[in-house]
Amino acid sequence: MENALEVKNLCKKYDHFELKNVSFTLPKGMIMGFIGENGAGKTTTIKAILDIIQSYSGEIKIFGLDNREYDKEIKEDIGVVLDDMFFPEILTPNDIDHTMQGIYKNWDTKMFHDYLKEFSLLPNKQIKTFSKGMRKKLEIVTALSHHPKLLILDEPTSGLDPVARSEVIQIFQSILEKDDCSILLSSHITTDLEHIADYITFINHGEIILSKTTDELLNKYGIVKCTEKEFRTIDKKDYIKYKKSKYEYEVLVPNQKEFKTKYNISTIDKITLDDLMVLMIKGEEE
Amino acid sequence: MIGFIKKDLAMIKSNFKLLGVLMVVYAIMGFMDKMDISFILPFMCVMIMISSFSYDNYNKWDAYSISLPNGRKNSVKSKYITTIFMTLMVAIITTLLSFIISYVNTQTIPYEQILVTMFGTVFGTLLVLTIMYPIIYKFGVEKARIGIFLLVFGIVMIGSLLASYIDLSNVLKFLSFLEDYLIIIFIIIAIIMVYGSYKISENIFRKKEF
Repeated sequence: MENALEVKNLCKKYDHFELKNVSFTLPKGMIMGFIGENGAGKTTTIKAILDIIQSYSGEIKIFGLDNREYDKEIKEDIGVVLDDMFFPEILTPNDIDHTMQGIYKNWDTKMFHDYLKEFSLLPNKQIKTFSKGMRKKLEIVTALSHHPKLLILDEPTSGLDPVARSEVIQIFQSILEKDDCSILLSSHITTDLEHIADYITFINHGEIILSKTTDELLNKYGIVKCTEKEFRTIDKKDYIKYKKSKYEYEVLVPNQKEFKTKYNISTIDKITLDDLMVLMIKGEEE
Repeated sequence: MIGFIKKDLAMIKSNFKLLGVLMVVYAIMGFMDKMDISFILPFMCVMIMISSFSYDNYNKWDAYSISLPNGRKNSVKSKYITTIFMTLMVAIITTLLSFIISYVNTQTIPYEQILVTMFGTVFGTLLVLTIMYPIIYKFGVEKARIGIFLLVFGIVMIGSLLASYIDLSNVLKFLSFLEDYLIIIFIIIAIIMVYGSYKISENIFRKKEF
């Protein structure tokens, strides 16, 4: 399978934070949810992919091409939504349309205005008059209107109400079906990702701690809820992390079926991405 | 590239009215044979463009622009081209206006003097651009404003110190020797300094972390 994006051993050091050998692969035509708590390294990774930050080491390939060597060619086919970075707010959507006509070869004015209408965004109003949600929608519309082959979206649904979020998610899905586009989507709203992401990549303290298909994560992984006595019977090899609460232990296991056959503990819940994040970050390893 | 220029022009379009008003004021004062403020008009172009850096900075446009095709290069190039284009356009319009004023006022100001004044104004404007833009790219607009104040203060101080030690009549003699080539020399100097400034800014922006 051809890859839309390959990140290998990406390292970047700051005074108080570093990316450590970040590696993951996004196959063509797939959506990857990129999750992690605030400050985990999601935005830094995305900035490195887009070459917004410099002096990092490692290899980043987009459509099989080196991201720095083929910068211009690659960026013609990428649509981006970056957290809090966009056009100056004294501009209007019409100004953005005129600007983008001179930047992207494939800029589609009709598509841009159709999306504006769909999202009820007035083309001649200054961005500063838009609400946070409207601005986000405009950023998304701008990212979509040049038929990109890869969308890199940093928190694209933050600030949107549930209805708008659902509209946006539907658009992402329809683009994926129509245009064979791939999407790297970082989000705190993990429920959105559970519905649309094919892969989940989890970053914590600048390190990738997990990169798997969503099906595998949600169907294979599980949370065992048990007493302390039961927990003491579990072999360390059979769980990833655990969390002790007032009345019970929550234990993250990588394979619920295997666990069931091995242990006589009946309460095994399906996992959500929220559970996974909390347990991976806050849980203990023993 | 065109897209980046369009974006810069769209950002400063509200200031075109201000330039228009200043031109009207200049024309009125000119017809009344009062103070000559023509030198302000091209200089305003740089000041207006500097305000566009503030907007860019506030909305983190620079980081976003890098995610666009050829963003690192064109973002800087468009600032220079837009400023030079605006300055020249305003200088041409102001010169034509000055000619009309002079013609109506039966040549109170000689045509040659109008051209020399405008030439000097454009050169001065480009000098400000040359110094300011790399400082803005390196330190940001706010710090650059303090920087330019210190720079102008320094130039004035050095200039006045030099003037007290150097016999200005010798300098004028030397310049009169070059009189025939003065315009060409200044055009060459302007091209070299603006190009050098652009290269420095481009280099700063290329290495910049966001």
